[in-house]
Amino acid sequence: MFKQKLSRVHLPHNKNTAAMAPVAIEPVKEVLIPMSMHSGNPSVPVVKVGDHVYVGTLIAEAGEGTSVPCHSSVSGTVTKIDAYPFGRGDAITIESDGKMEADPSLHAHDAADLDEFLNVVKDSGIVGLGGAAYPLWGKLSAAKKAKIDTFLVNGAECEPYLTGDTRTMLDDAHYIKSGIELLKKYIGSTRFVIGIEANKPEAIANLKEVFKDDSQVEIKVLESLYPQGAKQVLLYNATGKVQAPGTRLAELGVLIINVTSLAKMAKYFETGMPLVDRVVTVDGTACANPQNLICPVGTPVSYILEKAGTKEDLAKVIIGGPMMGKALADLNEPIVKASGGVIAFNEKESRIYEPTPCIHCGKCVDACPLRLNPTAFAKAMDLDGDEVRLEILKAEQVSLCMQCGCCSYVCPAHRPLVQTNVAAMSFVRKNRAPRA
Amino acid sequence: MKNLIVADAPHFHSHNSTNRIMLDVVIALLPATIASVVIFGTKALIIDIVCVLSAIAGEALFNVIAKQKQTIADFSAVVTGLLLALNISTNVEIWQCVVGGVFATLVVKCLFGGLGKNFANPAITARVFMLVAFSSVAGGAAPVCVDLVSSATPLELIKNGAELPSLKDMFLGLHAGAIGETCIVALVLGFIYLLVRRVIKWHTPVVFIGTVFVLYLIATGSFSTALYEILSGGLFLGAIFMATDYVTTPITDKGRVVFALGCAVITFIIRYFCAYPEGVSFSILIMNLLVPYIEKYTASTPIGGVKHEGY
Repeated sequence: MFKQKLSRVHLPHNKNTAAMAPVAIEPVKEVLIPMSMHSGNPSVPVVKVGDHVYVGTLIAEAGEGTSVPCHSSVSGTVTKIDAYPFGRGDAITIESDGKMEADPSLHAHDAADLDEFLNVVKDSGIVGLGGAAYPLWGKLSAAKKAKIDTFLVNGAECEPYLTGDTRTMLDDAHYIKSGIELLKKYIGSTRFVIGIEANKPEAIANLKEVFKDDSQVEIKVLESLYPQGAKQVLLYNATGKVQAPGTRLAELGVLIINVTSLAKMAKYFETGMPLVDRVVTVDGTACANPQNLICPVGTPVSYILEKAGTKEDLAKVIIGGPMMGKALADLNEPIVKASGGVIAFNEKESRIYEPTPCIHCGKCVDACPLRLNPTAFAKAMDLDGDEVRLEILKAEQVSLCMQCGCCSYVCPAHRPLVQTNVAAMSFVRKNRAPRA
Repeated sequence: MKNLIVADAPHFHSHNSTNRIMLDVVIALLPATIASVVIFGTKALIIDIVCVLSAIAGEALFNVIAKQKQTIADFSAVVTGLLLALNISTNVEIWQCVVGGVFATLVVKCLFGGLGKNFANPAITARVFMLVAFSSVAGGAAPVCVDLVSSATPLELIKNGAELPSLKDMFLGLHAGAIGETCIVALVLGFIYLLVRRVIKWHTPVVFIGTVFVLYLIATGSFSTALYEILSGGLFLGAIFMATDYVTTPITDKGRVVFALGCAVITFIIRYFCAYPEGVSFSILIMNLLVPYIEKYTASTPIGGVKHEGY
């Protein structure tokens, strides 16, 4: 059958830092490591105030169920374990001794079978680094129930500005290769599709070279359109498959793994160094020296901006990318495991538009990659009466929305469509009939 | 440290705006407006200006009476007024234009909740209102730029079996009719501009005009009759500028195709079977009323979702 294209939006790419190899940021004095950097249950602290820790020392073990452990990202002393001021759960403050000494007990890992493999992955503290921050071991454990023959390795990096994944594909290709070997060995997958947007020709060329002798690995060049890296979009564009309602991705025999998560996993097996730092792209119209910085998890954004420099007219700071990232009210907030960027915008770029009435132009409908109708959600939310609202929202299937931001981006009336989608989703969740 | 701006994602915007879209429609209507003045003279210019001003006045008046924020700066009243003007002939009395313009925005748009809330196209509804209220609006007046005495529109000529203007005159608009509907070249220029600026998509005008053509071809078996039918009356003006009105037409491409098909069929039925020579305005108005039903049955099935069942 004729394959219909999904809607996407053309964004400015602004990949200004793609050619800049990441450099380690100067040691920061203090890091603040939250216990909820991942989706699922918070980690549980195992250190106490006054304990000395190294880079990579376990400071919190995984909580119940879906969770991962946390490790110290600097060497120094635990000074505080307190409520995290910028989110849920607690956070551990560690004062750095500036030496960045790695924990001497770290060692390479190996596993005998899938269960052991998953335990090692869990110990690494790795979460989905594309933004969702779902524990990697949890995702991979789907292989226990279903046969996973295909892995989609997500190197799309469709958010403007961010180039961390691009750098992984250029600098850490050997880890991507050994990561794929691990998946072959323990999951038994036979097909690996690395999806990369066409605007990263160097990364594409590099990986093609690295995998030229591996017939099981395919480098899939994707159009440079947002949101190419979103789960359903990548799945559809790379395999032609669609995840049906109420099913799991694994039922299609497919899993999606972010390219940097994969490389970090391989690094853990080889060196024993858990997820304690990450590449943060510092850029934006109010950033003086755009660059890629390797930052310890828990580094405050203010420190990162101090190192990269900001311009006079700084007005807005975003953690993550400009389409789905979060604008900060307080620059003391730290970067966490899934923070791919710190973007500083100037006043012009930060302008807040006054919403005008919806003119039913349909641009949001045309832009939505999932063919949803954002303006219908917004209109339903304006109605009185929970039942009629619920009926419309369910018929329009608001729960599928992934908050990619395409609808708000194109809306000529500047309506906050993503926010109404989120409000509508939570309304549906709250009013869902209790499960029998 | 100064205060930071905090807003929800996305932090990028396409920089498109409602004003820009309305302005684009006005720009797209300029060729037809200029043609109206060239072909039908000073009276056409007066109609254009009076309709625009009275449409703006109607909206401004409502906002003052209802103590609402003034909204005339969004250009939508200009679009409404201009469309209304281009849809009436020089037989009209100027005071009638004032009534029509005020009716379009104040009654058809503002009373139903303002921009984005009206269910019927303000310009078309006002035109139909004028058609019923003032008999002078029906039919056409002869152009002033050429020696042409016939004030019968081509549609009336077809009905009466009289001799028709040449094809060249049909394209240039040198025949009787409403001031903005005759010059096909100017209207198509506007259409191309709207397509290039991505204000509208091709579906509605192409399906609307194409279907009328095919229906006439089947009914009469004559290629030239079918061609004259689509070039006459308000079909191009209606299909390009009124059947594509965002507010009063369906939101999906599929819905827009259904809408255009419905417009075409009703236009054909009125023109072919009824005593009345013109049917575009009525067809669009009737289809406006059916939009909620079309939307219900043409909603897309989401990727990763179940078939849309309507509500």
